[in-house]
Amino acid sequence: MEGKACIKVRELSKQYKGSSYLAVNKLSFEIYEGEIFGLLGPNGAGKSTFLSMLSGLIKPTSGEAEIFDHKLTTDTELLKRIIGVVPQDIALYPTLSGRDNLLFIGRMYGLSEKELKDTVDKYLNRFGFEKNGSNAVKTYSGGMKRRINLIGGMLHNPKILLLDEPTVGMDVQARTSTMEFLNEVNEQTKMTIIYTSHDMEQANTFCDRVGIIDRGQILKLGTPDGLPASEGCKDLETLFLKLTGRKIRD
Amino acid sequence: MYRLKATFIKEFKLLSVDKTGITILFIMPVFLVFIMTLIQQQAYKSMSQSGVPVLLVNRDRDSLGTAVERGFSNFPVAQLTVDHGERYPNEDAIRKEITNGKYTVALYIPANATKILEQNVEEIMGRMFNKGQIANNTKVDIGIIIDPTANKPMVIAITSRLKQYLADVKTGVLFNIMGSKIAGMMHAEIKGGMPQEDIFSYKENYAFRDNRSSYQPDAVQHNIPAWAIFSIFFIVLPLGGGIINERSEGLFIRMRTLPGSYLSLLSGKLLAYFFIALIQFLLVILLGVYVLPLVGLPVLHIGSNIVPLVLLTVVLALAAVGYGLFIGTLFDTPQQSAVFGGISVLIMSALGGIWVPMNIMPEVMQKISSCSPLNWALRGYYELFIKGGGWPAIQTEVIKLSVFFIVCLAISYRIFQHKTNTN
Repeated sequence: MEGKACIKVRELSKQYKGSSYLAVNKLSFEIYEGEIFGLLGPNGAGKSTFLSMLSGLIKPTSGEAEIFDHKLTTDTELLKRIIGVVPQDIALYPTLSGRDNLLFIGRMYGLSEKELKDTVDKYLNRFGFEKNGSNAVKTYSGGMKRRINLIGGMLHNPKILLLDEPTVGMDVQARTSTMEFLNEVNEQTKMTIIYTSHDMEQANTFCDRVGIIDRGQILKLGTPDGLPASEGCKDLETLFLKLTGRKIRD
Repeated sequence: MYRLKATFIKEFKLLSVDKTGITILFIMPVFLVFIMTLIQQQAYKSMSQSGVPVLLVNRDRDSLGTAVERGFSNFPVAQLTVDHGERYPNEDAIRKEITNGKYTVALYIPANATKILEQNVEEIMGRMFNKGQIANNTKVDIGIIIDPTANKPMVIAITSRLKQYLADVKTGVLFNIMGSKIAGMMHAEIKGGMPQEDIFSYKENYAFRDNRSSYQPDAVQHNIPAWAIFSIFFIVLPLGGGIINERSEGLFIRMRTLPGSYLSLLSGKLLAYFFIALIQFLLVILLGVYVLPLVGLPVLHIGSNIVPLVLLTVVLALAAVGYGLFIGTLFDTPQQSAVFGGISVLIMSALGGIWVPMNIMPEVMQKISSCSPLNWALRGYYELFIKGGGWPAIQTEVIKLSVFFIVCLAISYRIFQHKTNTN
């Protein structure tokens, strides 16, 4: 799948204060509108730093990224409205219900009460919260929290969804349902999805394209099927280990 | 605006499911004000009504002893027990009763005290008229034995009263002896003794700023504003802890990816807590006006200057919220903020005259006291509730509290910038 680039990354770098190396090192690549892009890398490779820059959480040290022709470094506020973020950590108030958490997030985007309530109900039903949407988040299982966390990033119908390891802690059923749902959303709305994961099998079935990142640089970029083949590897995981090594990272 | 509204609704939802928060913010302040007012009012009432237990060992049985006995039996501060030396023949026996806590103060008038007094006065008079020496300078030894734990003002009231009775008797004796001497010299006859009429009249007047006249300040007027201010400042615990929790969990990431700055999101939180502080104050006022009278306490008078009262309460709430923001921004864990926030409010309240009236503090402490925001608020409420003052009387306090709020905001902003710019 190759179409119009909605994200153009140009020489994007990030060096944290007090650090001697670049967490993201002159990244340059493009992500196409409507694709599901997987960013795969070991711990500390720069995946989360890259997503944090795209979502406006941290500023790049140098370089630029254009998202739907808006500059990342200057149009941060505008970009927050077209990007949905699903953080790796559970970003929910534990004592509020799943429904109240979602209503709060939706209100922060300025959605009208009726539209918001309809959207929240739709998502709660879709993700199996018909009966317990009004229960406190602290009573939910890890997987349930992840699902509410995911819905929180999608309420304002963003053009781009950033997912930082969205299915960690989910059981097989919840994981399958979530990925099916994301596929469904992607097909119906052409929402661009960028996601990070350590799950190569999931990335293989879910992503249109993947980028393998390590030490702040994209090592390989391509389709999940084509990339291993072009490198003479049987699958994505083999290629991943070949490129990033077997040494355990912190 | 919708972000403010969203955060505002969220904060109240969070509070509505937080039983501990509701207890800290609403139930405990009301309970604290109720208990403290009741205790202080009762303590004052019990001391002034039943008095301090005083033992008078009167071995004189003459005019001096009788005058002291009669005087104290009509003095409401003293709960008098009189002994004429049968039960307590000496000072040791009296001391034992004081040590055991049966009496707070014991007064001992020795035998023949009146006679010794008269002899002394006679000799003084003789010296005055004959320019001779005083042959016998034996003094009348009045014993005062005090429980070391006794309430000092009450003890002072009793000893002062004793000195007054003694002075009255001495004056009477002096007057009678001098009268008879003068009569002897003038060959005239004295009809009657010393006049008993009081030649002074005393009238207590309170310096109110308005023209009220019948009203008298009481414990309710002092306690309600003092403890209300103290409670409102305890908002720093849930507010500071809430800010830290949001910042330390994934919520902070979510917040910062939402449209608008994080500080604008904080504004909604501050607004919610500002209203919570106002509700706290309103509850405490309602308690003073409607509930405390039901248990026999005086009604709280809030004065007639409602606009200045609202203004003062608004800046008090802002100051408390600003301090909560400062605590929540400065510290990194809820434990740190709870300990520092709680103790700092206790210190500021102690300095501010919430626990101990400022006028009995040492001079140095009084100067430090005037740096406490709780003291500024307390002074303001005293002006409105007790002295009957209006806007001119509280404007300095309102300005100080406003500046405190702005300074807290500015420092918090700098700390926040510093912390978020580290990456």
